[in-house]
Amino acid sequence: MATQRFVSLSRRLLRAGIAPRRVKRLIAELEAHFADLVAEQRSAGLSEEESESQAAVRLGTDDVLIANMLARPELHSWARQWPWLAFVLLPLLALPVQFVLSMLAAVGVLAFSTQVLGMSALHPGAVPWVVAGLQAYGMWIAPMAAAGAACFLALRSGALLTWPIVGSALIALLGAATNASFEWSPAVPRGALSAGIGLHFPDLGLISSLRATLTILTVLVPILWLRRKRRELSSLP
Amino acid sequence: MAQNASLMSGVPELLVLRLLSTQEMYGYELARAIRASTRQAISLGEGVLYPALHAMESRSFVKARRRTVSGRTRVYYAITPRGNRRLGELSGEWRRIAGGVRALLEGA
Repeated sequence: MATQRFVSLSRRLLRAGIAPRRVKRLIAELEAHFADLVAEQRSAGLSEEESESQAAVRLGTDDVLIANMLARPELHSWARQWPWLAFVLLPLLALPVQFVLSMLAAVGVLAFSTQVLGMSALHPGAVPWVVAGLQAYGMWIAPMAAAGAACFLALRSGALLTWPIVGSALIALLGAATNASFEWSPAVPRGALSAGIGLHFPDLGLISSLRATLTILTVLVPILWLRRKRRELSSLP
Repeated sequence: MAQNASLMSGVPELLVLRLLSTQEMYGYELARAIRASTRQAISLGEGVLYPALHAMESRSFVKARRRTVSGRTRVYYAITPRGNRRLGELSGEWRRIAGGVRALLEGA
């Protein structure tokens, strides 16, 4: 963990997009270097306070180090080097993965309830609620989670929000194209669960458009508010 | 004519690789060695040294490993075969430039 002297430097480097594992090691090296400089000054006869002061001067300003780190793209985090991958493609891929997993979980709950617990359409217990919850997660929550995570990570790492906003829009459209249904009645005693992702963007209906809009607003409004708050805080003297 | 746009930016790399070609060192040791071996003519600030070391590591010119000596953990850097090749290139480029400057000064 960075000592107080290097906490600010560590934060600034992370916010500037330097890879976290590199920042951690760099801070450890600077701490050791600082200790060596202090010991050198002490052995020259200076007091502890004077030694620390001289060591700080020798170590140089944070600005120089940050500028030199930023001048080398290979030291940036992978998300900063390939923002389209980190904030668009991976979150976009995470959506169908979450959707499929939630539907598989619904199938598992239904199968377990009927085959192991012996439940039926006449005595379904909480199964319809659980399945409905899993479907709601896949269709409503998963897009928000994927887009929200992309935006939050971008905000935390100080990256531009352009790529996560593009990613959120695509995720919202893809999320709005998901559908799922569940029927479990005496006419369908084993239960029928269907789900899919229909990529018919030009034909998106009113409901789908509302779903996409809701996802975008739910994610972007708090993120933009958080960014504004951060800027206000960082502009304080 | 040789392209020397990276003339000065290549100096930290050259100095570090040259020193590491003799033995592995950690940051503080390197900073001291640079001052001593250049007769105090060059003092590489830590703000330049560490970014250069990390960049060289990411380009596989040096490799880093943690070592505990006398109860203190330090990151030691050692040159790699690729770093040795890079040192040869940088040394050749620097000698050519130095020769050119010397010729100019002596001719003037």
